[in-house]
Amino acid sequence: MSEHIHDSADQLPFNPVARVIWDGSIPIHFILDKAESAGSEKEPLLIEAPRCSYLSRLTNQVCRHFQDRRLRSSNDDSEMWYEYEGVPLKWHYPIGLLYDIHGMQTAAQRGTTDSLLPWKVIVHFKDYPTNKLIKTSAPENSQDFFMSMIKEADYLRNGSTKKVMNMSKSDQSHLWEGLWSKNYDLFWSMNQKLVLNDGILARHLPIRIYLPDNCPVIQDLVCPMDEDDQPKTLRHILNAVLPDLFPLDDRNGSPVAEVIIHGIKPNMDMSVLWAAQNMAYPDNFLHLVIVVGGVQ
Amino acid sequence: MSSSGTPSSESPPPTVTQPEPTEAPASPATVIANHKKKDLSKVIVRFRAIGNAPILKQNIFKITATNKFMAVIQFLRKELNYQQSDPLFLYVNSAFSPAPDEIVNNLYKCFNTDGKLIVNYCTSPAWG
Repeated sequence: MSEHIHDSADQLPFNPVARVIWDGSIPIHFILDKAESAGSEKEPLLIEAPRCSYLSRLTNQVCRHFQDRRLRSSNDDSEMWYEYEGVPLKWHYPIGLLYDIHGMQTAAQRGTTDSLLPWKVIVHFKDYPTNKLIKTSAPENSQDFFMSMIKEADYLRNGSTKKVMNMSKSDQSHLWEGLWSKNYDLFWSMNQKLVLNDGILARHLPIRIYLPDNCPVIQDLVCPMDEDDQPKTLRHILNAVLPDLFPLDDRNGSPVAEVIIHGIKPNMDMSVLWAAQNMAYPDNFLHLVIVVGGVQ
Repeated sequence: MSSSGTPSSESPPPTVTQPEPTEAPASPATVIANHKKKDLSKVIVRFRAIGNAPILKQNIFKITATNKFMAVIQFLRKELNYQQSDPLFLYVNSAFSPAPDEIVNNLYKCFNTDGKLIVNYCTSPAWG
């Protein structure tokens, strides 16, 4: 297996941006819910979690840590869920996206600048909020959801999912295995064919935009180029969707809203095609988290 | 001689950006409130059976755009008289399976065919 990985890795051009994004992590303190811990004060569990990965990848470790508690309840990992400040965390969102939405976005809105790290995530073993979270039973579901995102992204770029469907089963599974095992070379050896679209200009870019306050996610058709065949910038596409928050000319005064990708505020004049190719999450979507200051 | 300097000082003001006089932009709070508003507008969804899935007599429906895809799944289950335990798989454009929390309107905007969102359904997984 490793030989194969190295074969493909040799052809991988070094991409420092993709690499630092891949290596990005968030220290998370997993704390058992107070009501559920009843008596047995178990130490919180600290995990340095990859931003690009999923909470379900940590479930085994978390379950093992809180095993005493788990045995006393349903003993069923599918009943387990995570929460931050009363909000259930979607297991099918990447960890970094969850943190940017529920941590950074919320903090900016409140106007707090205190460090949120380590991020305090509450662990539950019962009362699964089925009305707020998709119910699942196994990590396989994470893989299915992940592959569906990859296909949806491919459809946006090409008007079909041929590129993904033409990959062999094992190549397809390398995407997930690479992500699951934190193997950058394995993942990117497959992923670059997708995000770079074999050098063919994408029809539309896979982009999702997240406003604060649990607003419905915004997704629309975004062409990479404008009418003059010039690359659109982040500013252009945000202005098209949210003109009140992102004026084209924001030189007068401070911006009312900003965007966060992987925890950082990118240059608004960055080409959105470049961003989609280099700063997308492993699910192939460029997730843009909008932060607005506390004062409105 | 001194007159040579005058023309430049009278040059017209730069006209690079001439924003038309528009209304003041809405505040972030207003923008957010508007995006959260329950809009009752509907989009057209067309269901297509695949394989041995039962065919619907009526297969075109109007579904509220702000609904989540979950509503489409539940609606179809009801139309088919399927129990929660009966296997049912839904795809958009015979291509991918949206997450239940995706917004119908987003799917419609991005993937509609001639004004209809095509949803294929079957009783065993198709398309990987």
